[in-house]
Parts: sequence; C-alpha cells; structure tokens
Amino acid sequence: MANTIIGSSIVIDGEILGEEDLTIQGTVKGKVTLKENLYVENSGVVEADIETQTVTISGQVTGNIAASDKVEIKSDGRMVGDIRAPRILIADGAVFKGSVDMDV
Amino acid sequence: MNDNITIVGENTVIRGALQGDEDLTIYGRVEGTINLSRTLIIEASGIVAADIEVQDAIVSGVVVGNISASNSVQITEEGRMVGDLSSPRVIIVDGASFKGHVDMGNLEAPVGERLPSSTSAMAVRASRPAVAPERPSVPAIRSPVSKPASKPAARPASKPASKPASKPAAPKAPAPKAPANKPADKKASKPRRKPPRPPSVPKGKRRVKRRR
Repeated sequence: MANTIIGSSIVIDGEILGEEDLTIQGTVKGKVTLKENLYVENSGVVEADIETQTVTISGQVTGNIAASDKVEIKSDGRMVGDIRAPRILIADGAVFKGSVDMDV
Repeated sequence: MNDNITIVGENTVIRGALQGDEDLTIYGRVEGTINLSRTLIIEASGIVAADIEVQDAIVSGVVVGNISASNSVQITEEGRMVGDLSSPRVIIVDGASFKGHVDMGNLEAPVGERLPSSTSAMAVRASRPAVAPERPSVPAIRSPVSKPASKPAARPASKPASKPASKPAAPKAPAPKAPANKPADKKASKPRRKPPRPPSVPKGKRRVKRRR
C-alpha cells in the first residue's frame, strides 16, 4: 500500500517530506510533511510534528498533528500532542493526551 | 537483524540523520547522513546528498558525498557519484560515472608518529643555543639548585634540566624567552644561584655579548 516504508530498526533524525504514502515502523524524530497518508505501525515511534492529509496511528506518536482530512488513533495507538483535523477517530483502547481542534 | 526492507519512495525527501540495522532502498531523495549496518541500494531515481557509512552499497542513482563501506561498493551502469569511496572492495561497471578518491586499504603512514617528535626537537633547539655557552661552565651544579628557582620564574619549561640553566641566560637572549618580568624574577632567584655561578659569567648585560 504505502510507497515509502521506514523499517523497524531504522532511526531517522531530521525531516521527511513526501508526496506519497509513508509507513513508519521505526523511529522518526523531527518533522514529517506529507501530501498523502501517514501510517504509524505498531513498532513505530514518532517524535515529530506531522502535517499530512491523513494519519493512522497504531504506534506511538509524540507531537502535534495537523491533518487536512482525518486522524485515526487505533486501539493500540498512543498519542501525546495536539490534533487539528476536520475528522477524528479515536478507537476504544487507544491512549491519547492533548487537545483536539476540529475547526479547520 | 530483521528481514524488513526500508524503502524511501520516489516522491519522498528525507533530511537529517538516518541509521538502521537493515537494508535500505532509496528511490527518492536523502540529504544528511546515512549509517547502516546492512546494504544500501540507491535506485536510478534516487538522489543522495549525504555521507554514507554502510556495509554494502549499490549505487544506480546519483550520490554526492562520501561512502565508507565495510564490505563493498558497487556503482552500476546508471550510477553517478561524486565523492570519496572507502571500501575494501570496489566495483565500477562500464558506463558508470565517478569522480573522487578511492581508498581500498587501511594503511597508516608513519608520518603521523614522526611529527610530534620533530616538533619537540625543534622546540629544544630554540632554547639550547642561548644556553649552550653557559652549560659547559656549570651544567650539573645549576640543575638541582636552579629547579626550584626556575619555577617561580614561570618559564614554559618543557625540559627540566636544560631550562634552569637557560634561565640566567634567558633575559640576555630575548629571542627564546625574555619578558620584562624575568630580570625581576632573576633577582629573587639570583641570590640562590650566585654561588654556583662562575665569576666568569656575570649577570645580564655582559651576557648579552655572549649570545653569539
């Protein structure tokens, strides 16, 4: 599905920019800016500010998210940070701490 | 470690430091540094402006930066690289473009070892000429006595034995060391030194002549 995959043992310290889907199974620190979808898998750890179209979190995210479409935190997802998106979906079992702003 | 493959897609740009324990295939753009313990594959559309440290590297795209591989580096027909290669095995295929240095060994030149000794020798020589005339007169006597005196004089004494002898000569020889403080220091130390000094070697002014 995703065109770019960051494997589970990869650590990226910096900035990621893309125009396609991104799947993170490893660790990313810094900033992520995408025009498509971001998938943070179970083993993924993201300590970054994220700006994308949609975000699907099954791993751990610390940072602010600004999505133009939708943010989804799945049951094994954990997030600390602020969310700004017109649509938000937090599944039962997810852990979330932060503020939510749906007025985009 | 893992069988996972990490892929950087064609429209993705990564700026920063990348490290990992698995293979990495780049179709997009990476700027910064890459540190892998496995294989790095840069595809034809890949552009990497980074310093790379990997086990193996296969370059089919564009690389600007140095590659240091612990096993091998291969630049394929579509590969273009500007930078230095450091690897025990290097494969450059016909059609590839490459500009830079290639280092396939880990030989260490002995030059690095010589330098410190040569510089210290030169430093010694600088001080010695001033001391030379006096040494033959009373080298042995001065060293035990002069050492305590020499310290307050605050000379950059790198050499214990030679320098205390040089101190009396020092004010006279401005080139090696001759700050204004020294004559004052000498006076304090001189009383100690006077007995060992031979009458033929007066203080200060007279010695100036002897500098030659």
